Amino acid sequence: MAKAVRVSAKEKQDENRRRWGMVIDLDRCTGCQACVVACHAENNVPVVGEQEAARSHSMHWIRIERYWEGEYPNVKARFMPVLCQHCGEAPCEPVCPVFATYHTPEGLNAQVYNRCIGTRYCGSACPYKVRVFNWFRPDFPEPLEQQLNPDVSVRQRGIIEKCSFCVQRIRRVELDADASGREVEDGEVQPACVQSCPPSALIFGDLNDPESEASQLARSRRAFRLLDFLGTDPAVIYLKGGETNV
Amino acid sequence: MGKEISRRTFLKVAAGAATASGLIPQVRRIALEPFVRPPEEELPGRATWFASTCRQCPAGCGIIVRVINGRARKIEGNPNHPLNHGKLCARGQAGLQVLYNPDRLHNAVRQSGGRGSRIFSPIPWSEALDELTAALQSLRDPQALAVLAGQPSDHLYTILASFLEVVGAPPAVIFDLHTALDGRAECASLSSRWFGEHQLPIYDLAHAQVVFSFGANLLETWMSPVAQSVAYGQMRQSRLGGRGVFVQFEPRLSATGASADEWIPVPPGTEGIIALALGRIIVEENLGRAGKHSDHAHLYRNVSVADAAQACGLPVEELRRLAHLFAETDRPLAIPGGQLTGHTNSKQAMDAVMALNVIMRRLGRHGGVFTPQPVPAERFASPAPTSNLTEILDLVERMRSGDIEIFLIHGANPIYELPAWVGFKEALEEVPLVISFSPFVDETAVQADLILPDHTYLEGWGYQVVSPGADRPIISGQQPVTQPLHDTRSTADILLSLASRLGGAVARALPWEDEAGFLEESSAQLHDNSISTYDARTPAGFWSLWRQHGGWWSKRAIKREPEAVGMPKGAMAVPAAAFQGDKGTYPFHLMPYSSLTLSDGRGANQPWLQEAPDPMTTARWNTWIEINPESARSLAIKDNDMVRVTSAYGSLQAAVVVYPGIRPDTVAIPTGQGHSDYGRFATTRGANVMDLLTPSPAEQGNKFAFCATRVRIEKVGQVKPLARLEDLDGEGRESIR
Repeated sequence: MAKAVRVSAKEKQDENRRRWGMVIDLDRCTGCQACVVACHAENNVPVVGEQEAARSHSMHWIRIERYWEGEYPNVKARFMPVLCQHCGEAPCEPVCPVFATYHTPEGLNAQVYNRCIGTRYCGSACPYKVRVFNWFRPDFPEPLEQQLNPDVSVRQRGIIEKCSFCVQRIRRVELDADASGREVEDGEVQPACVQSCPPSALIFGDLNDPESEASQLARSRRAFRLLDFLGTDPAVIYLKGGETNV
Repeated sequence: MGKEISRRTFLKVAAGAATASGLIPQVRRIALEPFVRPPEEELPGRATWFASTCRQCPAGCGIIVRVINGRARKIEGNPNHPLNHGKLCARGQAGLQVLYNPDRLHNAVRQSGGRGSRIFSPIPWSEALDELTAALQSLRDPQALAVLAGQPSDHLYTILASFLEVVGAPPAVIFDLHTALDGRAECASLSSRWFGEHQLPIYDLAHAQVVFSFGANLLETWMSPVAQSVAYGQMRQSRLGGRGVFVQFEPRLSATGASADEWIPVPPGTEGIIALALGRIIVEENLGRAGKHSDHAHLYRNVSVADAAQACGLPVEELRRLAHLFAETDRPLAIPGGQLTGHTNSKQAMDAVMALNVIMRRLGRHGGVFTPQPVPAERFASPAPTSNLTEILDLVERMRSGDIEIFLIHGANPIYELPAWVGFKEALEEVPLVISFSPFVDETAVQADLILPDHTYLEGWGYQVVSPGADRPIISGQQPVTQPLHDTRSTADILLSLASRLGGAVARALPWEDEAGFLEESSAQLHDNSISTYDARTPAGFWSLWRQHGGWWSKRAIKREPEAVGMPKGAMAVPAAAFQGDKGTYPFHLMPYSSLTLSDGRGANQPWLQEAPDPMTTARWNTWIEINPESARSLAIKDNDMVRVTSAYGSLQAAVVVYPGIRPDTVAIPTGQGHSDYGRFATTRGANVMDLLTPSPAEQGNKFAFCATRVRIEKVGQVKPLARLEDLDGEGRESIR
């Protein structure tokens, strides 16, 4: 008599658990900054102005790094969008004394703004330099406050913020799918940067779903992860530029 | 002790008693009437999306706007739109900051302290219209009415053109710096010269195997950057047949050039000469698989590859390698870009580049050159043209000599955008009545008597025939996604009410009650058309589908093969480009380039765009000058040093960016900053590169030769740390802070 295999609710949940991740195809990226502005617009990221930007206080959640290679005339510039890597083994998480930064079950590195007390330990621990600090109270001269996305809280002075993989969009898609009794489809969740990217250099999806576009691309032989040797297990996978998959 | 009654028991007993006694509460159904009624489509917390058109540049990308509680909250690309396929650039994303800009005019104003005083007093719209009507009625000669518009929405252009025609005034001059730096007028004239078409050609970047771009910054601002970036992504990775090769010919490595596989740093103005030499090699060595080149041999009769090699500083072997790279593939594509049009030899240079497509038989072929299929309705047949410099100078001359009594300006800022030598500001002073329709107090509006602010594009109506188009005819529809924020009024509506006030023939020519009526009537011309992507039983139903979809397009791709009917008959030659300023006094070529974020300066009042780093320098919020490391060393200047840049015409100061991707004989300055007006985010920062430009050399005729100026550079001894994203180690190498 075969013994019935009992799957506990928890195990079942683990089995279906997503790991949200992003693939960034450097061969497509043109450095056009559409993702940067889209992110400011979606996530109510404040603008700090010239003086503070010059002091490295600007608050982009995603930035395009540009690297020069070689000397004139054999010079090459390469672009690399860098955002929170949503590390599986995130160096920012254990250092937070108040658990403001923590790991969600579906692989998001989350920041709980109203727990944050502004020690900036996480910002120091992050090897990717993607955590930004609110040095000032954000200023939206009237009527610019009307541009704010009501789904995202405006952060106050004295706390750290960073890319959330547009968690408000993930939740909205999940709720909508739930309400109509279906599963979330691949490609349905699009963070603002992914949605805007003209050459489709950014692809978002569930890395635990072997069929998702993101996880298929993540298995490309062009794939690498940023500072992978640190053992941070990033959920952002880069595809090397300048060569073809085909 | 009495028995305690539990809560549960009590409820049971109470319910039983109520039922037994028939005391079930009876409530009359009366709806509660709230004090404020929300709009019916409004669900708290749920967004409504409206389709419209981006107007941050003339490309005409489709957008959808997320509206919550009546307020626009986010702009995204319209996923069904066949031009931009749901994608949007940085400028398109920032459109909310046009709508919610804190420096917008709230109502019509009169500059009560006189022009340039910046003292404004509000006036009622009725008074403004009365004044405009009276001024038009008292006009002695309709020729004394002049209009300048900057790439208006095609509906406004159509209304404006009929208005001017019926009152007998000269046609509007269409100018703005963004399209001037694109070389739109020159590209249109290339199209009409070669193909007998007034529409811009379409380059099928997505399917080309080898792309040679001659000064086309097609991933930044040129023509239709989002559509071209979408195509670029496909060309790179997602197609069978492998990754395309992309070669960029330009003196300064642009962000587009950075995405290319090869950057060929050609001397300014020699792009056409290189194209000719490549053509000569292809014809002479009979390269490629496109058949014999004997038909085209005569074009290259007078071309010497050795001379070309010398002119462009490339070895003959390098030219041969490039010619082989281009020709020995099935689908090469050569693109003549906007930068070519900034030189005195632009016409011949563009001909030389287009000829490469002809000799490789790339017209109408997959991955080649196409002409757009026109929209099959008369109303949409003639979208707004772009004026050339001759027409602008003619307008300035008429203003200066006092021939113009009323000057209307919409959507352009010529005092800021035109080089100082044109003398637009001085000429404007000679005009008795200047009326601006700008929603912002920009440099030109400050010189107006009345400002009658138009809506911003998210509040207004319109449509745009997409040009350069995609693979099918497209009209991008624009509609209000929100109530107007302020007491502004659509300029098209002002023209229509003027027409009805003037009466007679003018009223008969413009019979529409308002612009929405005009749009509805226009849309009806496409009702029942077999190629529509949607259709309805009635024109009214069609019009509502039009608004729902955000315009009209054909359901299937329709590509047209251009016929090179007007191809040069004899031998081609590209003369050396002429420059203003002698080499000894002014050792550097000046390359002004369109800022990726601020474009021609219209983005400078949007803080998101000011704070978005320039992709190549990572600089923000200011003006800089890019200079080759070797040249910087010889002048003993470092990053962030302030320098004075002087041309034969003017001078300005800018901070230095030591830039490895530029020729040693060239410096580059982006457009966009140096505003004296245009709101708090734009003013008091940087300098306007247009102040440096010199008139094109006299013998070349009137050309907007924006790359033909030479400059010299002097250190002023100050340091201005630019707000760059990257940190510098003093050696030009950088790290992210």
